[in-house]
Amino acid sequence: MILPDYYEFCCRVKIVAGHDALEKIPALLAEMGSKKPLIITDKGVAAAGLVDIVVNALKDGVTIGGIADNVPPDSDLKVVNQLAGLYRDNACDAIIAVGGGSVMDTAKGVNIVVSENATDLMAFSGAGALNRRLKPLVAIPTTAGTGSEVTLVAVIKDHEKHQKMLFTSYVLLPNVSILDSRMTMTMPPFITAMTGMDALSHAVEGYYCLQKNPLSDAHSLAAVNMIHQYLSTVTQNPSDKEGRLAMAVGACLAGISFSNSMVGIVHNLGHATGAVCGVPHGICMAVLLPYGLEYNMHKCGDTIAELLLPMAGEEVYRTTPKAERADKVVSLIRQMNQDLNAITGGRHARYFSEVKDRDGKQMVPRDVLPAIAKAALLDGATIYNPEDQDYEENLLVLEAAWEGKPLDRSKIKKG
Amino acid sequence: MDLTNGFAFTCPFKTNSGNKALENLPVELAGLNAFKPLIITSRPLAGCRAISTLKNAFGDSGMTLGIFDGVTETADLSVVEQIRDIFVKGQYDSIIALGGGVVVDVAKIVNLAVSQKVADARQLSPATAIRDPLGPFIVIPTAAATGMETSKYAFLQGKSFVSVHLMPDLVILDPRLTRAKDGKAVAEAGFAAFGRILEADIAPDRNPLMHAYAFTALRFLRENLADAVNKRCNKKASLAVANAVAMSGCVISNTDQNVLHRLGQVFQKIVHVHPGMIIGMCLHPFLDDCMKKDSSLIASLLLPLGGDDKYAAMPEAGRAGEALRDIYEFSYEIYRSLKGKIPRTITEAGIQQYLMNDVMDIINQEPDGAYLRTMIDRVGGGSIKA
Amino acid sequence: MGGLIIMKEVHAGGKLLKKVYVAIFLWFTGRAIQATAKVDKEVKKEFDALPDDFTFALGCLPNGPWMVVGKEKGKVKYFGGDLNSRKIHLRLVIKNIEAAFLILSFQESTALATTRNRLMTDGEVPYALSVIRILDIVEVYLLPKIIASLAVKRYPSWWSFGRKLAGRIGVYTRTLLGI
Repeated sequence: MILPDYYEFCCRVKIVAGHDALEKIPALLAEMGSKKPLIITDKGVAAAGLVDIVVNALKDGVTIGGIADNVPPDSDLKVVNQLAGLYRDNACDAIIAVGGGSVMDTAKGVNIVVSENATDLMAFSGAGALNRRLKPLVAIPTTAGTGSEVTLVAVIKDHEKHQKMLFTSYVLLPNVSILDSRMTMTMPPFITAMTGMDALSHAVEGYYCLQKNPLSDAHSLAAVNMIHQYLSTVTQNPSDKEGRLAMAVGACLAGISFSNSMVGIVHNLGHATGAVCGVPHGICMAVLLPYGLEYNMHKCGDTIAELLLPMAGEEVYRTTPKAERADKVVSLIRQMNQDLNAITGGRHARYFSEVKDRDGKQMVPRDVLPAIAKAALLDGATIYNPEDQDYEENLLVLEAAWEGKPLDRSKIKKG
Repeated sequence: MDLTNGFAFTCPFKTNSGNKALENLPVELAGLNAFKPLIITSRPLAGCRAISTLKNAFGDSGMTLGIFDGVTETADLSVVEQIRDIFVKGQYDSIIALGGGVVVDVAKIVNLAVSQKVADARQLSPATAIRDPLGPFIVIPTAAATGMETSKYAFLQGKSFVSVHLMPDLVILDPRLTRAKDGKAVAEAGFAAFGRILEADIAPDRNPLMHAYAFTALRFLRENLADAVNKRCNKKASLAVANAVAMSGCVISNTDQNVLHRLGQVFQKIVHVHPGMIIGMCLHPFLDDCMKKDSSLIASLLLPLGGDDKYAAMPEAGRAGEALRDIYEFSYEIYRSLKGKIPRTITEAGIQQYLMNDVMDIINQEPDGAYLRTMIDRVGGGSIKA
Repeated sequence: MGGLIIMKEVHAGGKLLKKVYVAIFLWFTGRAIQATAKVDKEVKKEFDALPDDFTFALGCLPNGPWMVVGKEKGKVKYFGGDLNSRKIHLRLVIKNIEAAFLILSFQESTALATTRNRLMTDGEVPYALSVIRILDIVEVYLLPKIIASLAVKRYPSWWSFGRKLAGRIGVYTRTLLGI
């Protein structure tokens, strides 16, 4: 195990996992001196009946200070301020966030406002601006997942001023994250596949990116193992309780990993694709992941090869010659996309030209790729990618990911 | 890993490890909303060089810091009270513990005293409820660490305080301070960490979160402990061992499986030996017992200890045996290289009868006292008779 | 048993030699960025894409030294070390003088320093990326290949010899003359 010359690692979140983890929340809140939480969620989560399950688990232990389900798919400053007002009006003393990335971000934003009595949230977005403990925050992810229940980042959009506010601080980490199998049971196969590949991309990118460290590596290896083992089965059998819990834990491990080691080209191009074409994040990750590995292969092939054992097991590892292991990892990931495509009846895209919206319309027209390649130049994930990227190379990867053909690695400039 | 019964895991401390780690202190303190730290350390135990290295790390920051370097092995609650008074009068807002063992124990209790604003620290007892997080607390272990520095435990004056809130916010591992001066001390710290992590990682209720820390620490120890013991100029090896020791504090704070740990603690308390000495001795009989109960748990150790290739090449049926062989060879090598400086049996350690009687008194009060007694017998403790 | 209580007040200025080294390098780099913006098409393009009064600062906690570079009336200028001289859109903050010394003595490349959390970015990420690209090109001109390859993530071995030679002469001349 390589010890870097210098590294930092932090995950202060208490993780409570199980088939009845929700029932432990009242005691956990009591430990933090709270008994009146505000529940923040979105309409999708509420419609799936998940909020009811949470409320039932809490019923005798705490007084619910309010349930707000108006979090939009993209976090919104207006909603943050409105929910902060609700928190104050109802004299709440904790926040419970039930949902995916946007709900978590909103909850973190609300927490800043109510803890710092902030009138202008923007003032807290600089480096080092947040250094006082916030109010108790319990995160209950409903996908497996974005990992935002263990990240120290929150992105809040100000739609009026057209700006994105980025908050980074360890104090944003939730106090507790609840991984309960009931919370991901209702995810339909398409969403399960997409969010599962998002989690895999966190684990894999976290493993090869420049800020990797021994602890993030250990989390990545465990995550890769669990996700590869359970994602297809859980997509096929949504009611597999054990599988759902394993995926939730795997996604959490992946979240802890990338939160500490950062991500690279897959997220860089993925963010840009999402921004330009509106493709869901998980699909971008699934499509781009094998390409990100191919792009970085000449820089960190040995590192990528280390993912083979946790992914495929001893038999495959032993019978794959050392020089071929990294490529085998790439082909296994392509196979995963293939399997998920079959299980979801074609909804899980294997490449960008296949991505369609609800009306069957292609979401990534080929002529938009240059715009995505350009937009990627503005995304910070490239800093941690092992190899440098420029516009031409971004386009090269995007074209290959559009067609579904392996990357022509000879075209990557090598320094 | 079996997740059916669920699990809970927490690691409240951040880890900063490596070159010039200390120099980040001003920024790290600011991140904890702290600007005037009190350094609690021990001139005899941590050494003047460590203290001056730490002082110089603040060199460019413009900060004011206080240093109390009078902690000794026999520190008690009156020392805690003395420091508490200094802290309050000097209006400090954070605590940095530089050193290992008793230095960190004292610092934890001081933090408890000042955070709860007690009037007199001598009134503190393990019965004191610790419900809220304490003030900013940073631990900087030196080579004299015991493995308890980052844990939720603090021991002072025969009293055992336990709370997750006692754990530090940050542990800083700087190679200038973790370099081993004494092979025996490193080996003891290494064995203590090794044993504690092993028993947690082969427990039936181990969880994937704790396993990530255990996996990393086991690899670090397996790959570096021998070098750290024998080639003390190898800063990287010492740093890796220090990393593992810090991680072991997190692991033992998240498990109830602590036969080896408790044995180590009892001997430390009564006989004043490093817990690693006893844990090293009891490792073999303990693992032999586990092997008989369920070898599949031992088999999984081959991956962190033997590496990917060895693990994959070994058929499933042979992994547990190979893992044990690896552990025995590894520990044997270290004992051999120390040429008897660390005793392998209690007889060899020359522990006097009356002390063993005191040890047995405590052990007999444990719920699994009978089992612990057999463990002591098997490492030569039974052969000491009046 | 009491202990020796040392109440020590530690002030900035304790690492004079390193601070002087860092200050000299920042001064030189600031002038070099000004020079490269005139000499290199890519750097010029990067600056053109930034707002008209764009200014960034690179320096070290707690009190500097700092390097302030920005655009004024379409031209790229080095504005010295005063953070208050202009509105700053982006600050690349090195956490302490030791880390600054590691970076500016090329023991750690900019990329490596970022991954070792030696730097904090205060400002919009796209600006930071632009500035990093600019700094990388400047370093390729200023440093011999053997050192520049450590300082940047990918050494541009595909640049023509002519570009490197002419560029290096141009950058050094302008940097030393301050034009």
